[in-house]
Amino acid sequence: MIRAFLVWLQTGLGKGPGADDSSWSEALLGSLNFWSLLEGTHLLLMMLFVGCILAVDLRLMGVIYRRTPVSLVSRRLLPLTVAGLVLMLLTGSALFFAKPLVYYHNIWFRVKMALLVAAMVNIAVFHARIQRRLPDWDADPSPPLAARSSALISLSIWIAMIVMGRFIAYNWYDCGKPQPDVINALQECAASEHGAVPLSRAGRAGAP
Amino acid sequence: MVKPNFAVWEVFHILALVMLGGGAILVGLRLAGAGLKEEAPSAVYRGIGPILTVGAVGIVVTGLLIGAANAERLYDSAAFTAKMLALAAGLILTFGALRPVALADGAVGGGAAAATGAGLVLWLAATVVFLTGGLITPGLFHVLTAAALVVFATSRGRRRWVFVGGVGVILAAMYAATHVLIPAGDLAHADPANVALAWVMAAWIAGAAASEGLSRSRQGQTAVGWLPGIIGGATILVWVTAAAAGRWIAFA
Repeated sequence: MIRAFLVWLQTGLGKGPGADDSSWSEALLGSLNFWSLLEGTHLLLMMLFVGCILAVDLRLMGVIYRRTPVSLVSRRLLPLTVAGLVLMLLTGSALFFAKPLVYYHNIWFRVKMALLVAAMVNIAVFHARIQRRLPDWDADPSPPLAARSSALISLSIWIAMIVMGRFIAYNWYDCGKPQPDVINALQECAASEHGAVPLSRAGRAGAP
Repeated sequence: MVKPNFAVWEVFHILALVMLGGGAILVGLRLAGAGLKEEAPSAVYRGIGPILTVGAVGIVVTGLLIGAANAERLYDSAAFTAKMLALAAGLILTFGALRPVALADGAVGGGAAAATGAGLVLWLAATVVFLTGGLITPGLFHVLTAAALVVFATSRGRRRWVFVGGVGVILAAMYAATHVLIPAGDLAHADPANVALAWVMAAWIAGAAASEGLSRSRQGQTAVGWLPGIIGGATILVWVTAAAAGRWIAFA
């Protein structure tokens, strides 16, 4: 059902009456510079978003700005971080819209989205539990273990997401290539237009 | 096995970029009167300085590894030339100007002033190569949008929202010009329209930055003058220029 929706998103939505008319998704992907600018903006926004969250998390871990209250670092840096995150989500969504089916059957993208959910859960837990006692340890050079762990988890997730995002561009596990069943299953290759080719058929597919 | 290694170096290149970005943004914004403004610029630098240094070393080392793997392609790339000029400008501005000025809490010594001049000239050279590099020119739009974000983050009160409104009008005009007034595919007309509006946007951003700086010095809010703000803003934007040129190596 998800795949059917994405097929419509990629090829149906906004398509004109003529057979050669492109959908909005195809028009975005085929644009002369706009897609490249979106992708470049998504990448460069990491300087803002991950760069700022790096500073916030390292403060929470008690590594840098140990003499600055956590609340002050948050008040000044979180607006920048949130602005960066919102812009990253917007450009990321637009990039997904340009090639939904490619990303849907891409293992790195799937892991990246799972990590995004994990990051959001981590943020929610931080706000609901850890931050409530902030006044008790606001000025401590090294915050309590729960806060430090939350920051370490946050930083690890964002770094892992950068790795996944970079690896999406590589075709190592593209559907249609002979590869282990587990990868074909994780990417739902059988439903993709290229199908699922098991490793045992590697010779027949002409691979080395 | 070159490909997987190459991909790993690219990941570390991006992580180094993130460190550079975070460090430049924190210290640069502080010098321009925004961000962690309750702390002295020297304290802001001391906190993030090591990360900035690791980022700079990391970007050069991973960049050499990546560049060595496709040197032939880079040899002919205008984007790569722009990137190298911006890299030199970035290193000079970061460690020759931003660092000493932040550590002196905004006082600009002779060495820092000279480094600022040299860095700005190299950055201008990078921008000219970027601008005249043919297919890579649209990548300069990244620098414009980043400059708009820096001005947004450092301007205050009503001036900030007038600025945002102006940027919105220019972007709407770009869309109208290239999608409504000029038929799709008519690049002979769309191209000059885009370029002209990009210049309007650059002028609007520079004007807003100047107006913010003037208003602050009139109110006596900048005890150390306007130069630290220029150094802060330029250091952020020069790294954005290097990163944008780096990305457009692959696009053009």
